[in-house]
Amino acid sequence: MPERTIDFGKYGAQGIKGFEAVARQLDALADFIASPVTTRRGLLARLHYLTRTSRARAAAREAGLTVTDRTLKAWLAGTRNPTKRNLTRIDTAYRAVRRQNVARYLLARLNREGRGTRVEIHPLNQSGVRPPHQRVVEFRTLNIRRWGAIVEAWAAGDDQALDDAWIEQIVDLGSQWGQYEYVTNVGFAA
Amino acid sequence: MSDFDAIDSLLASLTPHTPLPEAPVRRDLRERAGLSKAQVARALGVSPSTVTGWEAGRDPVGEVRAKYAYLLDGLADKLTHPVPSPANEAPSAPSATPEAPPPEPAPDAGPTSDAETSVRTPGAHPDDGDALAEPQPCVLCGRPAHHQVAGFPQHLDPTQCAPAEPQASRTTTPAPTPPAARRARATSPTGRATPHTGTPSRPRSSPDPIAAAVTDALATHEGDVEAATAALVKRAIPDAMALLDSCRKGGRYAIVAHPWIPDILRKQSARGADQIWEARPKWFRPELPPGVHEVTALDINGAYLSALKTHLPIGQLEHTIGTTHDRRRAGVHLITPPPWEHGAYLPNPIGNRDEPGPLWVTEPTLRLLLRLSGPKLGLCEPPEIHESFTSGATENLLEKFRVILKDARDRAIAQEDEVTLEYVKAMYSKFVSTMGESNYNRELYRPDWMHLIRSQAFANLWTKALKAHDAGLTVVRAMGTDELHVIGDWPKVFPEGRGVSEVKVKDVYPIGSEPTDPAAAGPIDEN
Repeated sequence: MPERTIDFGKYGAQGIKGFEAVARQLDALADFIASPVTTRRGLLARLHYLTRTSRARAAAREAGLTVTDRTLKAWLAGTRNPTKRNLTRIDTAYRAVRRQNVARYLLARLNREGRGTRVEIHPLNQSGVRPPHQRVVEFRTLNIRRWGAIVEAWAAGDDQALDDAWIEQIVDLGSQWGQYEYVTNVGFAA
Repeated sequence: MSDFDAIDSLLASLTPHTPLPEAPVRRDLRERAGLSKAQVARALGVSPSTVTGWEAGRDPVGEVRAKYAYLLDGLADKLTHPVPSPANEAPSAPSATPEAPPPEPAPDAGPTSDAETSVRTPGAHPDDGDALAEPQPCVLCGRPAHHQVAGFPQHLDPTQCAPAEPQASRTTTPAPTPPAARRARATSPTGRATPHTGTPSRPRSSPDPIAAAVTDALATHEGDVEAATAALVKRAIPDAMALLDSCRKGGRYAIVAHPWIPDILRKQSARGADQIWEARPKWFRPELPPGVHEVTALDINGAYLSALKTHLPIGQLEHTIGTTHDRRRAGVHLITPPPWEHGAYLPNPIGNRDEPGPLWVTEPTLRLLLRLSGPKLGLCEPPEIHESFTSGATENLLEKFRVILKDARDRAIAQEDEVTLEYVKAMYSKFVSTMGESNYNRELYRPDWMHLIRSQAFANLWTKALKAHDAGLTVVRAMGTDELHVIGDWPKVFPEGRGVSEVKVKDVYPIGSEPTDPAAAGPIDEN
């Protein structure tokens, strides 16, 4: 069996890449603002987060919210509303800044002073695969002690780096780690 | 086996029924002696569930009855007289073996065949506790012992090793009745009488984390009960999770804490609810019998604690479409509930749902409906199952956890220890309420379990309402998790107390009016 899946889903298996599931779980732990950016409440909450301090403004600019201070003021005051494209930019910038801000604390909680965090890996969904092609893929758990690379890649939004960092960890599952390249869910607490 | 032995054992099995103590006494004797059912069962050569049956009122027959009677006799003897003396053992007339019986092994020695011992003389087996010609100091307690095991002089009966008078003339004690039991007992597998395995000690209990936490908190707060309680309640969730982890050590199933969750179990918004209907009862009897009645509001103790025993899905929920219910799986089901025609005197088992059509219910609700629609009760039509999200289930996933908490609760009630009581209550109630998507407990992400446990509590309450109704009580209200209002002689149906199987009286209030004033009839507000 190849270690990396060549043509995923050819026989009807469903799942997502392991690193996507990890990013999803890390996002859930980062506690983004729940209201969508399209609502006034959600927009204001994001803008406040991005403009509270000069550092936050700089981070927002770096994350792609390159609008003038005048525009931001007008958005906050409600005299003008952001366009649809700017709404997406605001949301993307908010997520990026939030991730960077949370990363330090999340990393400390996940590493737990070297004890690490137990990760549950739920295998891919084979319900759409014909029985002769189905394989036994078990639920596995793994204790990950070094989260630095994973959290760093996640905070930077670098998918390729996150994938590499994740694969680096799951090779510890043993020779079958390739079966867990695609998963339904990766669960862990922080 | 010689022919005579066969006849002998046949004759022994024909002895008249040995009198046994009452069933509760049997259990009491065993528990006071600190023996587990498994130990007793092993000694008698039966399964532990058989012992359970005997302690619940069933009676053993034949040879095993005699053995059991002998065991209970011995236990009663030991418990009343901590140092058994040979005078207690009445000499028996008809012994099948002419020679003196072999020396007594440790009481939990397993039985072997009768024939083997009836031909064996004491000392025939080198390891089997040789009798010594003259007493030598026991290697364990230093006092004179009459036996040796593998060359070490020692007492074979652990009670003799206790600091008490050394026993004399054990070897010459004639066999007490019944002979069959004596012979069965007297046989010992080699080496079983060694001091380490032969001691009937209490089952070793790990240090109790709950008691330790309470002692710690009281020590930190220098005996300030309120401050200690507040501190304990604050750490109840992590403590419950730690307890859960320790309970699952060596368990058959791992706790899957972060499975994929279907959309129906996800909250639609941050404050919103998901699509599961937990069947919370909220029912008033629409019409009361005429006259004034005294209504008793009963409170079910520890409803969520008891509800931890329910069929819980172990792994990730899988989707199925179909009308069949698999008893080995549990989860949530989309059903069309059957119409309920008994609303005049019994609550609807799916709660008071106004909206018609199919709804997502949990396993306990579905099982309740299936039971009610069964041939035994026949109270409604079977529900129609459309689709399900289920996983292989077990009732024992949280069982150890539940039993530890229940024992701690019982102990706290017996000792009137309010701190422990509050702590235990916070542990199980917060455990249930935060095991879903809560940010207060991120270790466990099982909204399905949360719904199932709650529904189990509601189903338990419903079952109690049915029990009350069947016993002739008038059920007036069934509310929330643990509230049942009844008219009638309820102490006959529900024992009163603070244990989980008992009920507590919350309130007693009059209801209804004199027949002359029909306008005021109906449920009135109770405090």
